[in-house]
Amino acid sequence: MLDLAPLNTVMRALADPTRRAVYERIVGVEEITVAELTRGSGVTQGAVSQHLKSLKNAGLVAERPEGRNVYYRAEPSGLAPLVDWMSHYGVFWRKRFANLRALMKEIDP
Amino acid sequence: MTQEIVVDEVFPHPPEKLWQALTDGELMARWMMPPSGFEPVVGKHFTFKTTPAGEWDGVIHCQVLEVVQNERFAYAWKGGHESNVGYGSRLETVVTWTLTKVSGGTRLRLVHSGFVLPKNESAYRNMSDGWNKIVHRLDATVGERKGHE
Repeated sequence: MLDLAPLNTVMRALADPTRRAVYERIVGVEEITVAELTRGSGVTQGAVSQHLKSLKNAGLVAERPEGRNVYYRAEPSGLAPLVDWMSHYGVFWRKRFANLRALMKEIDP
Repeated sequence: MTQEIVVDEVFPHPPEKLWQALTDGELMARWMMPPSGFEPVVGKHFTFKTTPAGEWDGVIHCQVLEVVQNERFAYAWKGGHESNVGYGSRLETVVTWTLTKVSGGTRLRLVHSGFVLPKNESAYRNMSDGWNKIVHRLDATVGERKGHE
């Protein structure tokens, strides 16, 4: 297996359709507040805050407090575990481990 | 900022046997790729031939960096070309294998390190079209993974 802990966190964070919608909105703008995110989202501000917390814990968004507002922005490097998992070499090595396992069964039964 | 790929698995075989598969050119060819000019000797250069991309001929240039029998084996892994993005992009990486004896077998850890991440905003924007599609396919995968934990 890959080093799955960060990957699982990112996948979990993005697997929830509402949370993913929140994330997509953040990605689409420079910065955004909870109130702006809540508007038109169909969920309560409390729910949006919870989703933001998960996204923050997963390293997908960062926050910047200013006065009474907190501005959220996407953190591109948070997608790294995902990119890595899908990348050529992530796939390459997982396949090679499977090959090696099969070969070992043959040469050391 | 660089990134590494880690694969870590336990094999039901002793370290000596796995070591053979990792460091014997003929066995290497059977599970990885056929190496050219390989010898498990520090400093030795060897190559792998993979699919070319753009201005890159598909040759991976390797050099043995470390050989600790039955324990640790590392080589440089370089290739790609500046003009490529994604597959075939410039690579200056290191592959390190670590073998640890555990009850009933060997823990084999691969670390492929030195990948440069997209770090600026334009790279992120280029990527964001792709991730959108991909993330939508992840729901099912996460469901499967939850079952394994």
